[in-house]
Amino acid sequence: MLRKKVCLVGYGSTEYSRKSDRPLLSYYAEAMQNAMAQTGLTKKEIHGFSMVTQASPDYSPYVAEQLGLELDWVLNGDCGGAGAVCAIRRAADAIEAGYLDVAFIVAGNAFDKNVAHQRVLEYQRANYVDVYGYGGPNTLFALVQRRHMEEYGTTLEQIGKIAVSQRFNAGPNPQALLRTPMTIEDYLNSRLISDPIRLFDCVMPCSGGECVVVASEERAKQITDKPIYLVTDAEKIGFQASNMLPDKTVTGMSVVGEHLFSEMSRDNIDLLAIYDDYPIAVMMQLEDLGYCAKGQGGPFVDDHDLTFAGDFPVNTGGGEISVGQAGLAGGMLHVVEALRQLRGEAGDRQVSAAQTALVTGIGWLSYARNLNTTAALILERRS
Amino acid sequence: MAGKSLPAVNSIDREFWEGAAKGELRLQKCRACGKMQFFPRIACTDCLGGDLEWVPVSGKGKVHTFSLCRVPRNRAFMDEVPIYVAEVELEEGVRMVTRIVGDDRDQVTLGAPVTVTFMETEDPDIKLPVFELVA
Ligand SMILES: [Zn+2]
Repeated sequence: MLRKKVCLVGYGSTEYSRKSDRPLLSYYAEAMQNAMAQTGLTKKEIHGFSMVTQASPDYSPYVAEQLGLELDWVLNGDCGGAGAVCAIRRAADAIEAGYLDVAFIVAGNAFDKNVAHQRVLEYQRANYVDVYGYGGPNTLFALVQRRHMEEYGTTLEQIGKIAVSQRFNAGPNPQALLRTPMTIEDYLNSRLISDPIRLFDCVMPCSGGECVVVASEERAKQITDKPIYLVTDAEKIGFQASNMLPDKTVTGMSVVGEHLFSEMSRDNIDLLAIYDDYPIAVMMQLEDLGYCAKGQGGPFVDDHDLTFAGDFPVNTGGGEISVGQAGLAGGMLHVVEALRQLRGEAGDRQVSAAQTALVTGIGWLSYARNLNTTAALILERRS
Repeated sequence: MAGKSLPAVNSIDREFWEGAAKGELRLQKCRACGKMQFFPRIACTDCLGGDLEWVPVSGKGKVHTFSLCRVPRNRAFMDEVPIYVAEVELEEGVRMVTRIVGDDRDQVTLGAPVTVTFMETEDPDIKLPVFELVA
């Protein structure tokens, strides 16, 4: 479905750090302050608020009380790495229905020892996976990647090209924690973590925060001269959930892509912000979105330049594997990068004449499958 | 120091762990529609029916995928790395996350036939179903 009158009107980012012991709430507050400064919105004008979180006690009403927010609409974003995209979708629904005009969507992470931010380890992971000594998502993605490599002949060089291109993209991004150039040899020689996943496949946990502001078209025109329109969006949750012999190399993004590209041709997209906890996840999403046939992600990557200056720009700010993953702000980061590009605020990594962007989110690794949550949206600058 | 991870046995999966302790691999089967499933759940993933029975299965299957885990999430497992974490497809049409064990585990390939065995843990009442290559 096409969205009618929903815009993204601004964003706020914080610095990222691997060492900071700043409290988590301070990242939320700073990201919101930066978004308020960019949009000129005052606290009283924030009528809707969503925390994208998997950690107790950071639920939306609790954070709202901490930050002194009076609200007409709250939402707990609960789809993991797809949570940012899903929260934007829910806010858009409320805006279209007339219940909401401006919502701040916030996520972040901190190594904050003062508050017990407890992530829920779902019981199937605890009872039937962790007992074997698995390596968390590194192992779960390794199980997927080996299938992809064996079934389709995908090579480490092809998967590594995604990591190398994204590191190049991070070069001009001051927010990125990993900016030094990386070669394919660096990638191939990096330490094995859970074969065939190696160090430079793995996203780096860090502290930081992100905020995105969603508004009705009417309010958007008052707030900014650069409103970015939400064109269309879709999600698939629980793909293959009842199949005991699931195809590990196909994700719910295959369904999401069908919805999105029934509204706009995939060839009209100028840049892609693809959730990248691992390069293999990027490759599988490109396949599932229909940019190439299933299993042809390797040759597709060979044939295209994925850098911000290339013919097929992917993760133009370096993605999570270069910037760092500040918890569920990892999903927000992709939205914010798309906004920077479409608003012409991406500095030395600006994609020229960028008018449309695709943003994806993926999350909640499911037992013996791949992604439990997949969601995506298309954004467009309209003059 | 915390030990190696153990299952928190609950009312849903008690029969699975009791079977494993006796050297028997069991799967849930829906009495209404016949669906077999793993991991253990409160209801059938096809019909949502709650009338599930535990049935012993062959323990025979083949390797669907595997990874050599060198950095376990729970560092108490470090003395065992690399750990051959795998997904095994059972003859009954259900996949399990498990481990490949045995002196020849470095010979594992996708599609290799395997058979179940049961591994001792730090809890004398808990044994883990793991798999070894069929010679
Ligand atoms: Zn049933």
